[in-house]
Amino acid sequence: MQGIAKQDLNKVLETLSGGGAALLVPMEIDGVTRFARWEQGAKTALGAGNTLLPPKEALFPQNEKVFNYEMSNEEAKIVPSAAAAEETIILGIRPCDVRAIQALDNVFLTKDYVDELYKTRRRHTLLIALGCTQPAPTCFCSSVGGDPLQAEGADIMLWDLGETYGLEALSDKGKDLLKKIDKFMSKSRGKKPAAGKFSLEVDSRGIAEKLHNMFEDPIWDRWYQKCLGCGICTFICPTCHCFDMQEKHTGQWDGYRYRCWDSCMFQEYSLMAGGHNPRPTKKERLRNRFLHKLCFFQERYGMLLCTGCGRCVRECPVGMDITKFIKEVSEVSLNE
Amino acid sequence: MNSECCNPLVPLPGKIIKIVDESPDVKTFHIAAAEGKPFTPLPGQLGMLSIPGVGEGMFSITSQGPDHLEMAIKKVGVLTDSLHDAQVGQPIAIRGPYGNGFPVEKFKGKDILFIGGGIGLAPVRSLIVHCLQNRGDFGKISILYGARSPEELVFKEDLFKNWPQAKDTTVYVTVDKGDEQWQGHVGFVPAYVEEINPSPSMVLLCGPPVMIKFTLETLSKLGFSNEQIVTTLEMRMKCGIGKCGRCNIGSKFICLDGPVFTLNELEGLPPEY
Repeated sequence: MQGIAKQDLNKVLETLSGGGAALLVPMEIDGVTRFARWEQGAKTALGAGNTLLPPKEALFPQNEKVFNYEMSNEEAKIVPSAAAAEETIILGIRPCDVRAIQALDNVFLTKDYVDELYKTRRRHTLLIALGCTQPAPTCFCSSVGGDPLQAEGADIMLWDLGETYGLEALSDKGKDLLKKIDKFMSKSRGKKPAAGKFSLEVDSRGIAEKLHNMFEDPIWDRWYQKCLGCGICTFICPTCHCFDMQEKHTGQWDGYRYRCWDSCMFQEYSLMAGGHNPRPTKKERLRNRFLHKLCFFQERYGMLLCTGCGRCVRECPVGMDITKFIKEVSEVSLNE
Repeated sequence: MNSECCNPLVPLPGKIIKIVDESPDVKTFHIAAAEGKPFTPLPGQLGMLSIPGVGEGMFSITSQGPDHLEMAIKKVGVLTDSLHDAQVGQPIAIRGPYGNGFPVEKFKGKDILFIGGGIGLAPVRSLIVHCLQNRGDFGKISILYGARSPEELVFKEDLFKNWPQAKDTTVYVTVDKGDEQWQGHVGFVPAYVEEINPSPSMVLLCGPPVMIKFTLETLSKLGFSNEQIVTTLEMRMKCGIGKCGRCNIGSKFICLDGPVFTLNELEGLPPEY
């Protein structure tokens, strides 16, 4: 296997970010691990497990302008915004978050309409994934079809081999990029590491099919009760992609329309003009979120909308644990 | 429909070119873009209409002309309040068409009963107009419409003048509560359906949820099968293109896979609307 010495990491990062590409790597900023633009001298958090905030923001920003408008008595002038077409490298993204990007690709790039802003960013983004040798206590990617060491859909795979990072190109884009850092590469003695033991495991096989028949099941009456409706699960989720469209006035007659992340856990999400809300309480909202993750998305796109990153399990203030939910569902007997 | 070239969330600029008062809280807006008709929807399809600076909302397209679209809109919120305050010439922005539209092929050659309640006649009207414009393609047409009171009836010129004069077309109008001038039928839509005891091959039903619920029970009692009944659903929408998430019912998105469903299709979905 090819490898780069850890002591050369800064030089490799410098080379990768040369030529103007935005190089996003895990860093700790004000106590929060997240992907941020690497600059000379910045300290990476590659060894700190997965980041608290997923890298989805690089492809799907929390706020994104769609167009500017200028109103007059005669006309509405609309000036579309172009997505930034900056070359971007996301280095250190974990396999669960690469799968999350595949889910986002399904949403934004398929089913009749292509989301232009997402497509532009995606086309200019290269993924260098870092395999996970030691799953965190809240990690469960292997329980929902993922592989902690291999990220299908990444351009380059990295593995921490101790003194070196082993690497392998998975795409042509990845091969081309490796040529840029050729001089730092040497034959590494290490081989692809083995996965560490998961402390969180659950059998999710057949979950979508089973949940399809559990819309009216009493399980929801138990599960929604402790939910605070705070929305943190959707905020930190690498696959949550719901958005709102809002307007910002910059003057009396002009402004812009933008989209921003939204959360299905909020009441306004499905509240209609006139006051009707088809999901009026936390019960319906929690049910919709779990069914979307574990049933509806599977039915629509052929994959679960949960990649086992464990962020919601770790951060939920009342300890809502989707793996426990999956386990409970598997124990329900449907008498039909 | 596949918009590879440009951002599908960006609307076309246009104007309100005519406003028709339908009832105290419903107006029909005629919309044109700078280059004429913004797009050519199928009956039952939707459009995202906005006043930049106020907001954007999804509305059914009631009808269309060679150079314009028509949307009958009830005053229920921030955007619709602004639309109701607007004058002819008001600049707007519009995008679409969205949704599947009515299964026109399924209706061809058939006797059809249209049932509308309140503003629910707005989406129904697009198919009625289509059928009357292509009269030879369809069998007998019956139209049953109900509103809460005589002043709340929409499309009065169609109901009392244009449609009754059309070939092989019968119009039934009812109100929940009449007034001194009202000479017509008084009573709820489901009861009126039962009274008429119709026998069409296809039924198109749109209206408030409670009316739909009880009318479906009546239709079932009269022996109609789920495959004969078509209706429309409504959910909050933001993107209109199946990305923003909120208009799902089960794994279907109302903006893409709807708003039109046969009762058979509806029965395969969770009852969350």
